[in-house]
Order: sequence, then C-alpha cells, then structure tokens
Amino acid sequence: MKRKTIINLSVIFAVVMGTMACGTSLVIQDVDYSQPLESVLTPDADNRVHDQRYAIKFSIIPVLQEEGITSVDEIRVIRNRAGYYFITASGFSHVYVFEPDESVLKLKNKIEIAGEGLGQPAFNQRNTHIELVDMISGQSYNIDQNGRR
Amino acid sequence: MKTLFKKHISILTVFLIFACSSAYAQQSDYQIQQDFRAELSELLNRVELAVTAEELEEVSSEIDALQSEYSEHSEIINNALYPESFESTISSLREIRSTAYNNLSVIEQLNEQIDGLSAEMDEFRNRLTQMTQQTTSLQQQIERAEANERRQASLIRQYRQNIEQRDSFVSDFMQELLSKYHRMDASTQQEIAESVDRLDQNPLDMIRTIITEYIQIADQSPGLQTPDYVAMRAQHGYFMEVWNQIGERLTNTFAPDRPVQTRQEISDLLAAWLASVDNKLWDSMTTAFNQNGINLQPFITPDDFYTALNTFVDRAYEISLQSNNEADYEVFRNFRDFWNNTVKASWGEALITGNILTQAQIAAIDIKISDWGEAAQPTSNLMFILLLISIAVIILLVVLLIVRKK
Repeated sequence: MKRKTIINLSVIFAVVMGTMACGTSLVIQDVDYSQPLESVLTPDADNRVHDQRYAIKFSIIPVLQEEGITSVDEIRVIRNRAGYYFITASGFSHVYVFEPDESVLKLKNKIEIAGEGLGQPAFNQRNTHIELVDMISGQSYNIDQNGRR
Repeated sequence: MKTLFKKHISILTVFLIFACSSAYAQQSDYQIQQDFRAELSELLNRVELAVTAEELEEVSSEIDALQSEYSEHSEIINNALYPESFESTISSLREIRSTAYNNLSVIEQLNEQIDGLSAEMDEFRNRLTQMTQQTTSLQQQIERAEANERRQASLIRQYRQNIEQRDSFVSDFMQELLSKYHRMDASTQQEIAESVDRLDQNPLDMIRTIITEYIQIADQSPGLQTPDYVAMRAQHGYFMEVWNQIGERLTNTFAPDRPVQTRQEISDLLAAWLASVDNKLWDSMTTAFNQNGINLQPFITPDDFYTALNTFVDRAYEISLQSNNEADYEVFRNFRDFWNNTVKASWGEALITGNILTQAQIAAIDIKISDWGEAAQPTSNLMFILLLISIAVIILLVVLLIVRKK
C-alpha cells in the first residue's frame, strides 16, 4: 500500500515536472537580430552612447580603458544576425564583441585587427558575417563573434 | 611589339577592374546612405533657394542622376530611411521640385506681367505728358494770338485736333484696360494685387491723372465751341461706361488695402469732370441755339434740354395751327435746318454717347418737326381766285349767248 502511494506520487510529480519543463523550454528559432546598418554614435560628456533607433544605451568607459585611451569622437556599433554587438572606433586596435544579457553586455570576444589602430573603421552587415573596412588603409576584414574568418 | 602592347593594355584593364572593385569593397554602407542623405539635402536646399525655372530644370536632371547613382544601394538606403524608402524619398523630392517649379513659373509670369504693365504705364504716362505739354503750349499761343483772328482760328483748330488725339489715345487705353481686366480671373487679380507695390504708377494712378487733366482742359480751354464740349461729354460718357465695368476689379487689384475709398475718390473725380464739362456745355449750346434765332427755355441738364426742345417745337406747332403764315414757316425752316444740319449732323453721335439725348428722343423730335412742318405750310389763295375767275367767265359766256339769241 505504502509502495503504491509512493509510485502514484512519483508519477504525479513526474507529470507536473514534465509540464513545467515543457513551459520553460519554449524556444523561437532562427531569430535574426541583424542591424542592417551600423550605428555611428557620439559619446556624451560621461562617455555614454545612446542609439535611439535601435534602442540601446551604455557606457563606453570599459572599452576605452581596455584600449588604453581616454576618449573617442564616435564609436561604431553593429549587431549581427546572432545578436552579438560589435564595437570599435577610430584608433582602436580591436573589435569588441559583446553578448547582451540582463542589463549587461558581456565581452564575448576581443578581435585584434591592427596593431597601430584602425584609421577610419566602418561595419557593413553581410549575410554570414560582419565586414569591417578601414576607409583609410583600404583593408577589409570579415569577422563574426568567434573572430576573424 | 604589338602583342606586348596588347598585353600591357590587358594587364592595365585587369588592374583597373580590380582597383575599382576593391574600391567598391571598401565602401561603408553607413557612408553610402550618409552621402545619399547629403546629396538629397543639397538638392532640397537648391529647390528651396531656386529663383528661376532654369535652376529647377537643372535640379530635375540632377534628381535623375541621384536616382541612377544610388539605385544599386537602394536596399541600404531603404534600411537607413525606414519607414521612408529610397523610391518614396526620390518621388517626394520630385514632387517638391515640381511644386516649386509651378510656383516659380507663376511668379515669373507674374513678374513679366508686372514688368509689362509697368512699361505700358511709363509709355502711356510719357505720351500723355507730351500731349499735355502740347495742349498747354497751344492754350498759351491762343491767348497770345488774340489780335490775329486768322492765326487764332488756326491755333484753335490745332488745339481741337490735339484734344481729339488725346480722346482717341485715352479711349484706346481704356479699351485696353477693359479687355485686360474685365474678365480677369480672381487668382490673377489676387497675384497682381500682391505685387502692386512694385508698380511706380498703376492704372488707377493713370485714371486719376487723366481725369484731372480733362477737368483742367474743360475749365481752361479757350476758343472751344459746342461740338467740342459735346465731344468732351461723350468722352466722359465712354469713360463712365468703362469705369462701371472694370472699376471694381481695378480697385480690388490695384488698391487692395482701400478699394471702396479709391472707388469713391475716382467717382468724385468723374463727377467733377462732368460738372466742368456741363458748366461750359449748356452755356455754349444755349448760345449756339440763340445765334440761330432759336430761343429755348433755360436748361442745365440733359432732361432740361430735351424739355426745352419739346416745349419750343410744341409751342411753334400750336402757333402754326392757328396762323400758318410765311413768317411761321420761316421759323420752322430755320429750326429744321439747324436741327438737321448742326444738331443731328455735327453733334448727333456725341449727343448720344454723352448721354445728352437718346436715339429715341432724337426720333421723337424728328416726328414732331415733321408734324410742325405740315402745319406750318402756308395755304395758297391762287386756286380760289382761279375758281372765281372761271365761274365769272362761264357766267359771262352764258349771258352773251342769251343776249345773241334775243
């Protein structure tokens, strides 16, 4: 009798847990987060940038510190299909790839591009990757969240 | 050598293609849309600042060039301009240009119209000034030539011709105003009204000048006679007729701030002109009738004049009915001749145009004159005398026959 009750309770518990599990595992596939054009943003006095079109606001201080510079005139931001943010600026040696999370951007990758810094970088959205071009040097690089391709 | 040259050319071509494609590869999508926006903005700016239709025609071809230059990047631009698009932006630009072009065309037409009007006014003013100078000079010469009758008569003839020329010139001007403004649509009228400040002299100014000068001529003219004053009244009548047709439009167009007051001012001037003409006209007409032995009762208006004529003819007719003697017939002949040869032949048309007599009133007087003529015809006694003689002869012959038989 006791054993039967345990079995019944186990079955009920399994069904409830199964139903709950089904509820949380709802996933929408093939989301395209890609931003068709890069955003060119001018930092304010506090080194915060605000992209009104794509609705994101953040401080660039950590990135500047990482690059070892105090300020930039503008930064360039683009989001790829997978939803990663790519950030760089004139004078940067790297492209920073961030993964968005709850109120944070977590560094996913730091892609080294040019030792002496980019001249005039620009991101272009391409089907499978992000194209980074340096308008001054004429160099172009194909990148994604994992690095250079 | 030739093969080597061809080889060089091929290498150069390949290099150029590579260079071009590599240059294209280095383009920034962001920069492309920024460039597009900049060029678009520049064209919009040029449309706004354009002052001639030619400038906007140039812009039209540049819009075509912009469209063809950026059509390959339309997708990028669509993304950048969302919710607008490349095509809708170009169409909107074309529409703005087209509207500006139409507005500018209207303004250019209006400018031409105003310039034309201004030139017309200048020309008219100059011609009128010239005529006024001639008139003044002739007036002075007439006054100076009082001692020489023949010379004075010749000068008066010239003076009269000068006034006739002025009348004809002014009539043409009024006719032109009539044809130009009588059927002018409200929008054109409004457009001219907005630009009227640019005119040194507008048609209303000219009309004021013309009337003022006519008043001076009527007041000061030496040596003029009834036909001249009748012609002046006819000119006034024509002027009134044209003014009644276009006065309101002219004042609304050329005095948009105070059309009613301006209309009243010109109406007052027209009344003053008529008073000046009438002042001389009735005197000279009375004199003309008196000089021909016709004493009409006093008249100072067209109605008075018509009454005076009727009274004269009616009374003469009554007298003729009572005693149709030769003297009465002479009175009739004298009036008939003056009426037909002077009043109708020389003044007739002007009397009608000047609103002194109507065609119907002239015809009514004609009928009365005809009746008067029949009544005034003196009756002859010759037939009666011949009858008496005939009877006497017959009686005499009968008496002779009776005496012979006995």
